[in-house]
Amino acid sequence: MVHALEEIRRVLAPDGTLIDLRPLADNWRVEVVSLREVKRTGRVEDLPEQTGGDLAANTAMQEVEKRGWFKREQDELFPFFYSWDTPSEMEEFVDDDWQDFVGLDEDTRRATRAAWAVADGDSRVHVRVEIWIAKWRKINEHI
Amino acid sequence: MSLQKDADRNEIKYLRKFVDFNDKRVLEIGCGEGRLTWKYAKEARSVVAVDLDHDSLRVAKVDRPSDLDDKIDLACANSEYLSFAKEKFDIAILAWSL
Repeated sequence: MVHALEEIRRVLAPDGTLIDLRPLADNWRVEVVSLREVKRTGRVEDLPEQTGGDLAANTAMQEVEKRGWFKREQDELFPFFYSWDTPSEMEEFVDDDWQDFVGLDEDTRRATRAAWAVADGDSRVHVRVEIWIAKWRKINEHI
Repeated sequence: MSLQKDADRNEIKYLRKFVDFNDKRVLEIGCGEGRLTWKYAKEARSVVAVDLDHDSLRVAKVDRPSDLDDKIDLACANSEYLSFAKEKFDIAILAWSL
């Protein structure tokens, strides 16, 4: 990762901007959502590959800051929602597309189906992911 | 499938809050199918969007809006070996890829 950041630094103009935009592994909430209410039904389980990825990315950014390549100017967290019509569509997606880095336990599956069964007609199933965005400024070599 | 991603458009709202794309040369690493790329490319001077996944890039090439054909270059590239000249870009975006 540090080598990739070195490459990015090379191709950035003086005072160029690097944006690091990525989902954080921790606490992806499962919710049944309608206009009237948000009902939390559980969370997606983080597998070690996912949390390890976060740690490695953070370590790499700390390293390039220590080396004086980039300076962090701004950062913030914001929510990003994956949304499905039904719990079964959500389960199918998690099982097929996210199987390598997250899982869904039985309690969450059951609670989501139960909440959706009695929810308002406009309800959808959400997975709420926290996204971290950070702005880094390239530190010029001659400084 | 009824999957919707980021219906509230938070990702592009925050990206615009953090960076002004106007007339900038942008490198996006991890562009995938171009979901984010199409949203800011109109403002930029030029965009090079790269990804390692050939299937995603194929989709991106098909989905690329025709009015952005001249502005966005899509390429398969590894961020550890970027075959671009020094200081070519004003902005680099690591899009879900660090």
